Amino acid sequence: MLISMRDVSRRYDDWPALKALDLEIEPGEFLVVSGPSGAGKTTLLRLIWMGDLPSTGVVEVAGFRSDRMRRKDYPELRRKLGIVFQDFRLLQERTVYDNVALPLQVAGTSPKAVRRRVFSLLAEMELSHRRGSRPHELSGGEQQRVAIARAMVAHPVILLADEPTGNLDPEVSKRVIDLLLAINRAGTAVILATHDPRQVPAGTARYLYLDRGCLVAPGSWEGFSTT
Amino acid sequence: MTHLILTALREACLNIRGKLASFLVTILMVSLSFMVFDIFIAVSWNLESALREEQQSVGIEVFLQDGVTEVQAIALADIISGMDGVRSVYRVSSEEAEAFFRADLPEQADLLTLMGPDFALPASIQISLHPEYRSSEKVAPIARTLSGMAGVVDVVYGEEYLPGLTRAVDILGRLVLLAGLVLAVSISLVVANTVRLAVAEKSLTVEIMSIVGAPAWFVRLPFLGEGIVTGLSGAAGSLLLTGLVSALLASTVSHGFLPGRWIAGVLLLGAATGALGSWIGMRSGIPRPRS
Repeated sequence: MLISMRDVSRRYDDWPALKALDLEIEPGEFLVVSGPSGAGKTTLLRLIWMGDLPSTGVVEVAGFRSDRMRRKDYPELRRKLGIVFQDFRLLQERTVYDNVALPLQVAGTSPKAVRRRVFSLLAEMELSHRRGSRPHELSGGEQQRVAIARAMVAHPVILLADEPTGNLDPEVSKRVIDLLLAINRAGTAVILATHDPRQVPAGTARYLYLDRGCLVAPGSWEGFSTT
Repeated sequence: MTHLILTALREACLNIRGKLASFLVTILMVSLSFMVFDIFIAVSWNLESALREEQQSVGIEVFLQDGVTEVQAIALADIISGMDGVRSVYRVSSEEAEAFFRADLPEQADLLTLMGPDFALPASIQISLHPEYRSSEKVAPIARTLSGMAGVVDVVYGEEYLPGLTRAVDILGRLVLLAGLVLAVSISLVVANTVRLAVAEKSLTVEIMSIVGAPAWFVRLPFLGEGIVTGLSGAAGSLLLTGLVSALLASTVSHGFLPGRWIAGVLLLGAATGALGSWIGMRSGIPRPRS
């Protein structure tokens, strides 16, 4: 089991963001988490990358348990994850190359190996010609591809994508989803939080629906398409 | 690990380069704060040097009774030179005492003539003490022992001023320590505030570093480096400014600038306050997982 959540709840002050959630995710799975704003999608992802810890219950991710985390465990866990956000969160003062290289640099990878990996990934993402650009010089789609490249550069076992197409037009959104599917086909588990699950073609993913912190409809794409 | 450390140092340089103007203003603020301290310790050091010089001359003079023969005086000097704390003894005969008097106070030399040919200044033994015995607490017991010896008529060791001198040197040392502590706290707060602002300014970088798996020390090192560089540069700047003031005053006020040991101390204090400030700033600035 790659990720397991047992009776997990998360409260922010008096507001219950997630309630008694049980969830298991297998290696290589593509999971689409859907629901309206405030349903708990982002909270679920934050609990997986342990930006937040559960108020009750236990989250276990790639062998790291939320109730046994030591300070030095957080970097180790996060090197197994790649995270993509709706607002890209690229460092504006750095070039595309430096943004993508960051996860390898903070892991102490040699500059030569960093260069080799970043160049190859930028080529794969069709961003080679943009490697010296600053994020603000790129289009939204390009910025999101840079963010995905940064998330994938260290070969994570899980890619978390929090509304990655939220700021993109439909055509660019489709390219981003195709990219996530390709990443998944290569063996990386992908967890996509989105308000529109129909972006992911039927039969390619497992679907969860969250509403007010509760898991209400674990099911299939068809379930969404008929609503 | 080497690559990681080099990358962390590169991050520190990026941090500083990204806000060079505000960094320089902070260094100026720290320099001016440290300058007050430098001037205080320079004055203290000069005063303490003067006091210590005075303390160096602390010794005991043992006046011998009339009729003590030279053989007895030599025997007494031998006994005294074997006592704890005594570095050297010098025997002054009656004739030598008269010669010293005439040389030191030539305008009063007539007094000796007026006293008549039978008058003689008393012979004495001048005692030099080891430095650690030049305080009032250490000298007094030696003086008491000497007073009780046969052939001794009087013992003089500056009992009127020595306790005050010892106390003054002691108080000055404590004042320097206290001022150093007060300054270390205040500079730490200035640096802490600067680092807190730097962390806030770099919150996205800090967040992304943490998300991509940077170790905690890697995230903190650039800010720690920035704090240490700020403190160290501020201290160095203050020494330059104080040196300038010292040079300007050299012709009007006789004084010495701080010795190398004290300069090293100021630089060390600067680095330490910078590190402390960074630590305080990072504690409240860098987010941790919320439980």
